[in-house]
Amino acid sequence: MMFTAAMFALAVAMLLVLVRLFAGPTLYDRVLALNAFGTMTVLLIGVVGFMTERPDFLDIALLYALINFVGTIAILKFFRYKDLGQGLAASEEQNSLRDGGSQ
Amino acid sequence: MNLSLDLILDIASWISFGLGAFFLIVGAFGMIRLPDFWSRLHAAGVIDTLGAELIVLGMLFQAGFTIVAVKLLLIGAFVFLTSPTGTHAVANAAFVAGLRPLGLTRDDTAAKTDKGA
Amino acid sequence: MEAFIDIVLFGFLILTAIAIMRLRNLFAVVMLSGVFSLLSAGLFVVMDAVDVAFTEAAVGAGISTVLMLGTMAMTSREEKPPVHNRLFSFAIAVIVGAALIYGTTDMPPFGSPDAPAHQHVGPDYIERTPKEIGVPNVVTAVLASYRGFDTLGEVAVIFTAGIAVIVLLHGRTRPARTARARKKEKDV
Repeated sequence: MMFTAAMFALAVAMLLVLVRLFAGPTLYDRVLALNAFGTMTVLLIGVVGFMTERPDFLDIALLYALINFVGTIAILKFFRYKDLGQGLAASEEQNSLRDGGSQ
Repeated sequence: MNLSLDLILDIASWISFGLGAFFLIVGAFGMIRLPDFWSRLHAAGVIDTLGAELIVLGMLFQAGFTIVAVKLLLIGAFVFLTSPTGTHAVANAAFVAGLRPLGLTRDDTAAKTDKGA
Repeated sequence: MEAFIDIVLFGFLILTAIAIMRLRNLFAVVMLSGVFSLLSAGLFVVMDAVDVAFTEAAVGAGISTVLMLGTMAMTSREEKPPVHNRLFSFAIAVIVGAALIYGTTDMPPFGSPDAPAHQHVGPDYIERTPKEIGVPNVVTAVLASYRGFDTLGEVAVIFTAGIAVIVLLHGRTRPARTARARKKEKDV
């Protein structure tokens, strides 16, 4: 019963965040919404697992929590450096370029 | 004795779920209603920290001392560590990209950051 | 109650698909496809297909998002407006979809014990695995022992594909985007 209530709340919140994800005027709004949506998916899988009395499914929720973080950081790295293929050295170089440009 | 313990755990779960659901929905409404990215950051923070952790806590009360509880603790710890990191990274990326709060011109912030540095 | 979860998840899936169709910004499309695969993995969990959900989570939501972003570094950020006749594409999609739905009417109901998958070699594996292999998970026994060479071939294919992707992503970026080119880009 309580899991059902929690699931309803999660479904409503997911719908609202999904709207922001569709509408989000800037890309950063979308990333933020994606992050929140991922967190809520993790919770939803956990709650559904408890509701169907098979909480062993939490492994997947755990995997999601990690993948979500990796995905967010990858997207942001891409926004910031406009590239994923370069190593740290190249990023540093670009950083110094940016600082040089703004002064 | 056993029965009353179960009852206490159930009540604790209900309270956690209720509060968690409240924060989740408030955060989600904030994501929709707040005017710009910087204020929406606050709403996302509410979802990722209080909302998520309270729901995990509510599940934890129901799990008992099992492997499931360990997994829930791990999920809670990961969410606790990664969500603020992710939110900070989004904010940082947005700031670097030149996004500024509503009602604040670019010159304002430039002047302030120069003074602070 | 499971019906409600199914309806909610499928509703989100349809919303996401429509949004992917309508948006022209490719960043947003990549993020929404990540959401799409999160949702479908949720559906797999509800259907008890935990191993498929695991793969979907790792590949769909994680790796393919990163690969798509890496690809986008070399192409445009905006989708061009379609030049072909959209009505024709829509008709093809509707016909193929209808054919697929028609095909499902011949399939046994979900979770039915009379399904061919549970009649043919399945029971044999379930019976022999504890004796011959001794691992609790029958899928693992089939993948790693009964069909070991098949799995080795698959791993070789995935490994080759991974190397190819790395070569593609690395080979083009380095010479084309030197520090000077990047600075010029930024000044513009």
